[in-house]
Amino acid sequence: MLAVMLSALSASALGQPAPEEPVAQRPVREAPGEFQFVRLAYSANQYSRGGWGRRQMWQTDWPDAEHHFARGVDRLTRVEVAESGRILTPLDEEIYDYPWIYAVEVGNWYLNDQEAARIRDYLLRGGFLMVDDFHGTWEWSAFVSSMERVFPDRPIVDIPETDEVFHVHYDLDQRIQIPSRMYTYSGVTWEKGGYTPHWRGIYDDDGRMMVAINFNMDIGDAWEHADWPDYPENMTALAYRFGINYLIYAMTH
Amino acid sequence: MFEALFKYSRADYARSELVLAGDWPASFLYVLAIVAVVGISALLYMRRRHASLLQLAAIGVLQLGMVALVIWILLQPTLATDRLREGENTIALVLDSSESMNYGEPRSRFQAALESLSRALQEDDSPELSVRHYELGSSARAVDSFVDSRATAGATSIANSLRGIFEESRFSSLAAVVLSSDGADTSGGLTADELAEIAAFGVPIHTIGVGRTTIPEDIELAEVTVPDKALPGSTVSARVTVMHDAPASTHLKIYDGDELLQMVPLELGSDAGTTTEWIDVALTEAGPHRLSFSIDGAAGETELRNNTRNTLVNVANQEYRILYFEGEPRWEYKFLRRAVGGDEDLSIATLLRVSPNKFYRQGIDSPEQLQDGFPVSRDELFGYNALIIGSVDAASLSDEQQGIIRDFVSERGGSLLMLAGPSGLGNGGWGQSAIADVLPARLPPSTTDSFHRKKAGVTLTPQGVSNQMLRFDSDDVINAEAWRELPQVADYQLTGNLKPAAVALLNAETDVGQIPLLIGQPFGKGHAYILATGGTWRWQMSMPLEDQKHETFWRQMLRGLVATAPENVSLAAHSESGTGTISLRAEFRDDAFRAIDDISVTAVASHEDGETFAVAMLPGKEPGVFSGEIAPPQSGTWFFEALAERNGEPVAVSRSSILHESGQAEHFSFRMNPGLLQRLSEATGGRYFEASDLSGLPDRLRYSSSGITETEYRSVWDAPIVFILLLMLKAGEWLLRRRWSSI
Repeated sequence: MLAVMLSALSASALGQPAPEEPVAQRPVREAPGEFQFVRLAYSANQYSRGGWGRRQMWQTDWPDAEHHFARGVDRLTRVEVAESGRILTPLDEEIYDYPWIYAVEVGNWYLNDQEAARIRDYLLRGGFLMVDDFHGTWEWSAFVSSMERVFPDRPIVDIPETDEVFHVHYDLDQRIQIPSRMYTYSGVTWEKGGYTPHWRGIYDDDGRMMVAINFNMDIGDAWEHADWPDYPENMTALAYRFGINYLIYAMTH
Repeated sequence: MFEALFKYSRADYARSELVLAGDWPASFLYVLAIVAVVGISALLYMRRRHASLLQLAAIGVLQLGMVALVIWILLQPTLATDRLREGENTIALVLDSSESMNYGEPRSRFQAALESLSRALQEDDSPELSVRHYELGSSARAVDSFVDSRATAGATSIANSLRGIFEESRFSSLAAVVLSSDGADTSGGLTADELAEIAAFGVPIHTIGVGRTTIPEDIELAEVTVPDKALPGSTVSARVTVMHDAPASTHLKIYDGDELLQMVPLELGSDAGTTTEWIDVALTEAGPHRLSFSIDGAAGETELRNNTRNTLVNVANQEYRILYFEGEPRWEYKFLRRAVGGDEDLSIATLLRVSPNKFYRQGIDSPEQLQDGFPVSRDELFGYNALIIGSVDAASLSDEQQGIIRDFVSERGGSLLMLAGPSGLGNGGWGQSAIADVLPARLPPSTTDSFHRKKAGVTLTPQGVSNQMLRFDSDDVINAEAWRELPQVADYQLTGNLKPAAVALLNAETDVGQIPLLIGQPFGKGHAYILATGGTWRWQMSMPLEDQKHETFWRQMLRGLVATAPENVSLAAHSESGTGTISLRAEFRDDAFRAIDDISVTAVASHEDGETFAVAMLPGKEPGVFSGEIAPPQSGTWFFEALAERNGEPVAVSRSSILHESGQAEHFSFRMNPGLLQRLSEATGGRYFEASDLSGLPDRLRYSSSGITETEYRSVWDAPIVFILLLMLKAGEWLLRRRWSSI
């Protein structure tokens, strides 16, 4: 599966470096749940600095982020959750079987026209995309560059406080910048000049949010490091709540 | 021959009783018989030396036979026959004067009927009977003679007419009825109750059938069945039945007012009889729609009036309420809501259990709606037309709540749809719940995991082919293909065995074989369905964005659910083809669908041209139900309004409308119906005759068992056969004696 995925990536990366080696995955549960965490494997853009070690940027926080988050969803809601996540590329046909996908470090992503069309189609049919962990003006531009290929005519807007996505399960009135684990060393919550967190979205014609954009924050790290004694518990809790609200919203709207 | 030997006919013997009219005392006859036997035996004994025993026995038998015949003559056998007393009985001649009798074949049925009745009288050489003449239509009309009769009645009700004749003849002795008709009853035929009622009068009815049972040159639009109400933007299925006695090709045209909606080619098969087609008709605008269905006439067809039928469909401009209770967040919930989100006629309120401690509500009209969770009162739940229960444990609802759901279906007439899920159907313990009886399948126990997250294909069952909820295309073949091409559903659940009244509309093709996917059954006044998947959302996600099958399925499914659920206040108008009247039935119930009592109801009928008059509404046997009837003075669309009042204060109002067309019924189903006439005769002790052969009818009238009768005695001792036998016995003895000369 992963080999297919990787070959698809290499074919669609337009000269960009593709993931080099298969990444070991935890075994997928025999009977998948109603919700299975799906991570989007994308090609890196030309400005991407690469990930940690031999990893690609889309692998950031994998697999602990989804593992912890899935446990949280299972514990805090009545959603039936598959224990392990999946990794899919935009061109995987199976993507349509998972109406909720997560993409991380999207300041590094690159979607060619074919992939952008697929993501557009996926979202308009009813899919939901949560993007996370990108910071600063430069990464924003890189993200928008591909996103505009997905939706050339749909604006990216700040999510209003009253939007149901902030209230569907938890009333999320706090707008606190959720930092990466670097915070535990440096004490700063921002990265790459992204001082102010933004919760933004892209909506369809009926006012349904299709893309939840978490800019200048790192919810994935908060999930991943939920078991780190040094990582602030209140940040993890808030990150869980944002993630759960996005999920419940996607399952109700 | 029989009559020549026995003096009277077989029928005479059959209808008579054989009695002995001789005055001889029985003792004399016994003595005579004994003396004859002893005398003959003595004489033969004396001759024993001159003949063998066999010869003596033969002579003895012949002599004893002759003696027995003489005794038989002395007894004077006589036929005792009951027959109508002269001048004291009446026979009713009934002439079908409905318009269908005008049909020329080539001579009109009416002429044939007139002639048959006159022949029945001419051939009757019976004692003088008083004869009454009746014209038969929607009721019977007494006339002096048939001289001025014409076939002009716009309807035929044989039962109603005969009832009238018998009522009118209560104080006279009605011996028999002779009915000459084509049997084309427009009131719906004769029911078993009506037949029993007519037979109870004890008067034999002899029927004479006129007309042809098959008319190859005629194509008839026999029936068009369309729901009398629909939702705006919905598609209604019209069931069109064409009667034909020969193969033909024609076209069916459907008009909404003057606008041609569709033209559908029809191939009428070579098998004579009927051809039935389902045609989908899309109705967009709210309000009454006068639909006209018309088929092109066949070559040489003369009766074209039966090629068109009109009907009225009321497209209600109202919102139907649906409650969807879901026990866990899941994709089916989201995509179901999306699918029907644009349907302004459906208001779907959802109650989703997001976590053990939180319900999330959507589609609610007010902050108070469903704020305490699932409804706990009849008033609250009965306000919805349909209820959907998803992946919910039965135990999450109290016994009282489950009882209300049961009443919602059985008493309120609502529709219940149960969806599959990890906690749905059998897994949720619904098979052991208070609503287990309501459901169309015997669900497996909750100890067995019947829910499977495995994909499954979907196919239409034969019963599902014609179901309006499952229509992607009006063409059956294309529709079935569309279902086959649908992406697999994401999961399925085993439902257990279907109940006797249940019908499977969809099947799932799973890794364990074919299983029922969509099942339905009526329960009480309502309906219950099981959709054994929570994964139809794959249709939306797996098909191109422009494909609307997922939306179409759910909109039609939910519209189908609410369409059968009655309102608590209703007024139904029905056109009675037999009597030409319109009957009204008004039903008034409160929000909990309990009958409203202590009310009086008045109704007003208004014609489309403005004519208005009041209709008397009388309370029926059922509480809250009132009925009335009008004889509309003209055809066209009639609007009705029923107002319920208590102490002069209005309580509720209901409206309805109907298209009434008087005088049309006689042009339909006008083929001669001998079966109806035969059943009528058999049930009353009469006989059915073809118009071409009325032999036996006069006799049947003369010896009718009904009326005032007297007994007629006719001797048969002097029948030729008696004397022939006497002669043969004596001649036989003489011949034997000559042959055996020794005796």
